[in-house]
Amino acid sequence: MFEPQTMSKLLIAASKDQLEAVVRELYRHNLFHIEDFVESDAQGLEGCKIGMPLPGASESSSELVRIRSIENTYSVSPTSMDAGEQKMPTSEVRQRIERELLAIEKEAAAFSGEKVSLENTIRDYRTRIAELKPFTVFPANLADLKGFEYFAVFAGLVPAQVSLGVPNETFIAAYDKSNLLIAVVPRENAEEAEKELFDAGFQPVQIPDEDGTAGERTVWYTHEITRLEGDLGAVSGRIFAQKEKNATFLVACDELLTAEVERAEAPLRFATTEETFVAEGWVPADMVAVLTSDLQSATDGKVFISEVGFDPIEDAVPVEYHNPNFSKPTEMLMDIYSRPQYGELDPTILVSIVFPIFFGFILGDVGYGIILLALGFYLRKFLKDDAGKKLLDVLRNASISSIIFGLIYSEFFGFSLPWSPIGINRHLLIGSHAGGHGPDVVLMLVLTAWVGILHITLGRMIHMYNGAKMITPGRHRSKVIFGQFGWILVMWGILLVLWSLFEMPLMPVLAGYPAVFAGINGFGVAGAVLTLVGIIGIGQDSLLELMELPTVISHVLSYTRLAAVGLSSVAIAMVTNYIAIELIIDPQLANLNLVGVIIILIGIVIFLVGHTLNIALGILGGGLHSIRLHYVEFFTKFYKGGGKKYEPFGKLLKFTED
Amino acid sequence: MAVETMTIEIVEAAVATAAGFKAIGAGLAVGLTGMGTGLAQFGIGSAAVGATAENKEMFGLALLFTVIPETIVIFGLVVALLLLF
Repeated sequence: MFEPQTMSKLLIAASKDQLEAVVRELYRHNLFHIEDFVESDAQGLEGCKIGMPLPGASESSSELVRIRSIENTYSVSPTSMDAGEQKMPTSEVRQRIERELLAIEKEAAAFSGEKVSLENTIRDYRTRIAELKPFTVFPANLADLKGFEYFAVFAGLVPAQVSLGVPNETFIAAYDKSNLLIAVVPRENAEEAEKELFDAGFQPVQIPDEDGTAGERTVWYTHEITRLEGDLGAVSGRIFAQKEKNATFLVACDELLTAEVERAEAPLRFATTEETFVAEGWVPADMVAVLTSDLQSATDGKVFISEVGFDPIEDAVPVEYHNPNFSKPTEMLMDIYSRPQYGELDPTILVSIVFPIFFGFILGDVGYGIILLALGFYLRKFLKDDAGKKLLDVLRNASISSIIFGLIYSEFFGFSLPWSPIGINRHLLIGSHAGGHGPDVVLMLVLTAWVGILHITLGRMIHMYNGAKMITPGRHRSKVIFGQFGWILVMWGILLVLWSLFEMPLMPVLAGYPAVFAGINGFGVAGAVLTLVGIIGIGQDSLLELMELPTVISHVLSYTRLAAVGLSSVAIAMVTNYIAIELIIDPQLANLNLVGVIIILIGIVIFLVGHTLNIALGILGGGLHSIRLHYVEFFTKFYKGGGKKYEPFGKLLKFTED
Repeated sequence: MAVETMTIEIVEAAVATAAGFKAIGAGLAVGLTGMGTGLAQFGIGSAAVGATAENKEMFGLALLFTVIPETIVIFGLVVALLLLF
């Protein structure tokens, strides 16, 4: 919680005959984040070379390429498939690769060849139909235009009738805003005729090599295309049937061979000498004991493992989140911004609590919440990778929050529920049912400003904590901490001054006390002093930071978007209801006839389109604005990020088992 | 009587005009700030899309830069809401 997983740095050394056993064990555990060995930067391991791949690497990778090509034909992808109920033992996969792969490969190649040839023929026939098109106005056999010894034939489009100065026979007919011209001239006059034709704007068209009139041939080709498309459908059907049959085997092969290739290439990341190898890497501290004992037993104790000391701030320690389950999906939102550094506070939990609240505050509507919830469950069918699932979990939490806020606001697709809003009224005065005093705009704005004040104060406090934790004690550390404290003082100082001057709802009333200095009361003076001390604090940390002083106000006001964006969403919903129901459907229902039914249908369409649009805007508005408040207003106060992702060597087996 | 009716009418008209001006003001506040945000986001947005296309990891930062000018239109919206209610 609030801190990434504690890591230990391990150094594993053994003689080269243990290399395969060690690599296999590391891969199986999927825990060891390998620190790549770089020859030019080999601190403590001078003179070592990077290792050679294990034997069998090239065979495995060439088999993997074959499998991937078959997967491509059948459009199978391991990432989009759920793990089967029964995993295949690797020995069985190995046997089947030797026994069946060749046959499956041939079959796939045959299918793909058949499919490609059918597709090519269809494409070819389509081109021919296009070539025949200008000649459909020419009623005679196209073969008759070819094969003359003493005559030359010109065919093409001309803008207008042409009369040639040489002996000729021409056919001309209107075609597509132009004219098809076919001219037969004696061969000795061909050059002259060609010149005349081009002068008249002649565009030559190739005479198709066909026997029959253009019309007949077009009909024939169209027929053929229909027949071939039928065949193509049949082939696709057979491919699909084979895919169903082979998919589980293919993904199992893929997994097994990928594992073999990755294992075989692992020594490329180790340091080696003639007889030994050294692997450096990171392991979660609580897993060190398990990994060590398993490595020892896999190699009969012929391995040396030791924990190496490291500097948690200076060294690039890989970062793995360490959060309670409900916060895990939010890690995706953190990774979009940047993974925390190893030493700093991990704010994932804060985001996972506050983000859904912001989302619900903006899009608080029971109807929209239910639709988003259903949408999330529906999309689960398609988004099967890790990031997609996390995104959908975030959406689920956000839509539940939306429903809860909808109950509080008493909103259902912009209509009100049978009870009055609790605390905050967002119902605008739209439509004939409108009554009461309208939305509590000022209340909402002040409330959201409070949210901003507290959120930003929290951010600054976290910066102070991070400073205390990450910077070595000394002048620099005190400067940073007092600088951040200065920001808090400035914000609350300004607030005190404001409170001493104005009365605002939801804010302490400090106005009306006797003035102490220049018409300002004691609280105001205290506020001014705090502000001044704060400015000094910021300035001693960094003078340039003083330029950012206006952000104290603008960042707090930025939180008022929670109220503003939410109200605009309510307005769209209510206006949609007003137009669709009160203006279109209700008057027709009063006096029903046939035209009325059609108008009612139009009203329903408007209702659906309006709300669909508003839901889309709601996801964008609710999601983007909430996350933006975190990224821009909250994180900029303390968050550094830029941590290295923990990527352990190995893979959890989905389709196979040892 | 006639004078009284006149006065009431004049007052009603004045109230209506004031409401109208408020509505115009609210519209201007949202519309003009929207244009401002649009102008600012136009440059940042195209650069951000370019950067993200080059390097996917830029997405978070690019989104952050793109939404910074959004604050302007939010202020406009807040002002409009304060004017109207």
